[in-house]
Amino acid sequence: MPKFPGIKGMFLDEEPLIIQGSKGLSGISMPDCGLKKSDLKKSENAYINEKYIRKKPIRLPEVSEPTTVRHFTRLSSWNMCVDTVFYPLGSCTMKYNPKINEKIASLENIKNLHPLTPAGLVQPVLKIAYDFNKILCELTGLAEFSFAPQAGAAGEFAGLKIIKKYFDLKGENRKTILVPDSSHGTNPASSVLAGFMPVEIKTGKAGTLDADELEKYISKDVAAIMITNPNTFGVFEKDIKKISDIMHKNGSFVYMDGANFNAFLGNVMVSDMGIDIIQLNLHKTFSTPHGGGGPGSGAIGVVEILKEYLPIPYVKFHIKKSVNNKSELFYELAEDKKYTIGRMTPFLCSFAIVVRAYAYLLSLGRENIASVSEIAILNANYVKKKLGKILSGSDPFEEGLCMHECVFNDKAIEENGISTLELAKILIDYGFHPPTVYFPKNIHGAIMIEPTETESIKTLDNFIKAVKEIKSKAKKSEALKSPKKTKVGRVNEVMANKQPVFKY
Amino acid sequence: MNNFRYFPGSKNDVAKLYRFLGIKDKKELFGKIIGDIPLLDTNILQALTKEKDEDSLYNFFLNINSNIPVKNKFSIFVGGGVYNHFIPSAIDALISRSEFYTPYTPYQPEVSQGTLFALFEFQSMIAEILGMDVVNASMYDGAESLAEAVLAAIRLSSANRDLPVNRKEDIILISEGVNPNYQSVIETFTGGTGVKIEKIKLNGKTGQTDISDLKSKIAIGKTVSAAVVQQPNYFGIIEDLEELEPIIHFKGVSEPVFIVSSTEPHCFGVINPPGFYGADIFAGEGNSFGNYMNFGGPLLGLFAAKKEYVRQMPGRIVGKTKDGKNKDAYAFILSTREQHIRRGAATSNICTNSSLNAVRAAIYLSLCSKSGFKKIASLNLKLAHILRDGLLTTGLFEPLYTGDFFNEFSLKIKENKNNISAAGFIEEMAKKGILAGVAASEKVIIISATENNSVSEIEEYIKNVKEVLYA
Repeated sequence: MPKFPGIKGMFLDEEPLIIQGSKGLSGISMPDCGLKKSDLKKSENAYINEKYIRKKPIRLPEVSEPTTVRHFTRLSSWNMCVDTVFYPLGSCTMKYNPKINEKIASLENIKNLHPLTPAGLVQPVLKIAYDFNKILCELTGLAEFSFAPQAGAAGEFAGLKIIKKYFDLKGENRKTILVPDSSHGTNPASSVLAGFMPVEIKTGKAGTLDADELEKYISKDVAAIMITNPNTFGVFEKDIKKISDIMHKNGSFVYMDGANFNAFLGNVMVSDMGIDIIQLNLHKTFSTPHGGGGPGSGAIGVVEILKEYLPIPYVKFHIKKSVNNKSELFYELAEDKKYTIGRMTPFLCSFAIVVRAYAYLLSLGRENIASVSEIAILNANYVKKKLGKILSGSDPFEEGLCMHECVFNDKAIEENGISTLELAKILIDYGFHPPTVYFPKNIHGAIMIEPTETESIKTLDNFIKAVKEIKSKAKKSEALKSPKKTKVGRVNEVMANKQPVFKY
Repeated sequence: MNNFRYFPGSKNDVAKLYRFLGIKDKKELFGKIIGDIPLLDTNILQALTKEKDEDSLYNFFLNINSNIPVKNKFSIFVGGGVYNHFIPSAIDALISRSEFYTPYTPYQPEVSQGTLFALFEFQSMIAEILGMDVVNASMYDGAESLAEAVLAAIRLSSANRDLPVNRKEDIILISEGVNPNYQSVIETFTGGTGVKIEKIKLNGKTGQTDISDLKSKIAIGKTVSAAVVQQPNYFGIIEDLEELEPIIHFKGVSEPVFIVSSTEPHCFGVINPPGFYGADIFAGEGNSFGNYMNFGGPLLGLFAAKKEYVRQMPGRIVGKTKDGKNKDAYAFILSTREQHIRRGAATSNICTNSSLNAVRAAIYLSLCSKSGFKKIASLNLKLAHILRDGLLTTGLFEPLYTGDFFNEFSLKIKENKNNISAAGFIEEMAKKGILAGVAASEKVIIISATENNSVSEIEEYIKNVKEVLYA
């Protein structure tokens, strides 16, 4: 009987803070600002017009520091996370988040830096943004990146805006963005947001986009294709170069959704596939923590001819003579991009995310960077092959190798009377975070597993064993009640939506 | 070494994986997948340096850190969208729990109750502070949130008039009191969609959004979808939302959506929030609640609306429900608005957001509690007034506007011997260890003070001003 890390511990119960604590308590240390007693005593209407002043009490908790700390610590224990369990959430690259990166991002002068500090005082910070940009160019083969987009979807939006502006300035009114039916939901959503019409292309049997199929959709109305590579089945788009050629011949662009870039890091430059624009999710491939849903960063990279369209501001330098007449580089925030799509965020970027991603690359260095995608691919194929034997007939792409993730349908588990949702919920009791489920939509009951390079064979074996045991032992009647060992049982999402309660 | 420290597999394990797959080596592995696309030779990389051990890596950044002369060496009086507030240690301690920062979006609510519960408390407290019905669990930053609010308003007002979305005639009125960077982000989002933006002037005396300009632009015959003001505005002036609201909710051809933004929600500890004046949407910045300035990001976008508009809201919303045993439980709700369900027809493309920053805000507001929240707001109000009074007493400045302000205000530098501009003034003050403010124009400087500035720092500011401008 294999041992699984399934949750056995005790969950502590906890009520909302609003109903805890005695009246009038607070848990914050009020800075001693040295105000005179007379100023402290003055009422607010000595400063501003009476009519603006808030008189109704604000209904907030009334608790001390220890109560707050215990409350949120208890809450945290109700979460599964990368540091406690195997978290093979497909398409999300739940790799280990190195602790040193957190320490670096917490350095006093970095976290306390006001974005409007004069450039002369923040040279080292501007240099980080500049140097990190150069590394990303080198790893992708593209000409320049912008870190203004704050997540993958924002990166997509920026990329599409760039394409829109390019054609607007050329006087061409191209409206169509081609999107494979297996794409992330953000792709069509971003297309609409940027003022385009997304048109779905059917993917072939092998899960990939066929160059011949693509030809059918080509017209002068096509501005670009948004292609995820490897696609959302974890399969490499084998026709990618042909696809790029078709698009370029038509005067259209190739936008690559780089959410799955972990499959290429350090081994393949996207420029060699004819990619014009990519967004890199720093919270996926570059190890910055996912934060329970963010923050992230969706750095956007482009080829030479699109550099001047990137968002502003950006970091550039000029050579400056210093006091002792030595030449030195002076970095500054600039806005002189000729065709810029404009601003996406009030300041430069999510710098605290960029600094973590930069630290990650510096620790790997050129010696280790290529191992990232290599091991990620090996691990995914190990799961694909081994689990494929257990879930026989469930691998839609049995022939050939996957890249960083693999996907199964629900055929084999359905034969044993279990749905994908039930498999996911039972896996929780075994001590695993479920894979991505029911995505991509064109795989029946999809189970999408992305192990990443930061998992051992032992963990993968343990996970595979759990799936095997669930498949053979689980009973429908029991499955419906899973998970049983979590803080709460199966959540009633229908009720949550029917009678929505937004606040306490 | 048998492995790189972040990889739990040894070289033998990697070899074992290759054997299991019946593949010889990396070349064959990639060859089988990517065909004739060349493999990158990492040895020739230039920008990416040699690997760094943890100690060298830390020292590298420590060195950078000590070359940035900010904390404890500088007094920060600059705001302009991000404010220097005190951050209690308890937040860092709690947020550094892996259970909060290493999971992703709570797609499986049963194993994400901690994040969901914390976000529900975040929504509840923000709703209370803003006086609004529904708050989402977060946008990237105030500017992006505001741009999304404008898009939501276009959908709403088109629906009100039973007209298709993105019609060419949609007009958005934006007060010139809205942070200029926010205005730029709105332009980025609406650019190329046919939406027309018209600016509403500020009253030259008070610095508030000009009533007669607003009235003329909202007049019959035009199809105004929304009007946007910021509270307090970019120049620090408190807007009279009570006076603006009935003008904006003008029932002519269209009934424009009233959008209020803010870059400093601490003000609502002292002044009435937008929800008390019938604002339809609030979209602004929440970074002041327990988050670091981080050189501008990540920040925390707040988005709130009246409950009848909930279906046009972007982003994640947590709702309270029950589990199978009738225990309280939390889950994301109304996800049919979102991209992962609706794809091209979604209200927004947002997926990853500022969730962890929202949890930080929830912890911060819990620590502040009812009394602390009011006290901090009151301190900000008083310190900013002490600073402004002190600066005016020097005779070197004059107020730009007469309107009331919270913790930020604008001054005009009077004619001075050295003919120093606002930008020059900031440069000179920085040499003295004071980040003096934001230059808003040739002679105008926007200055803020928070509870992180003491009276002695304020006195130091005033003393140095005299040196810089008298010199």
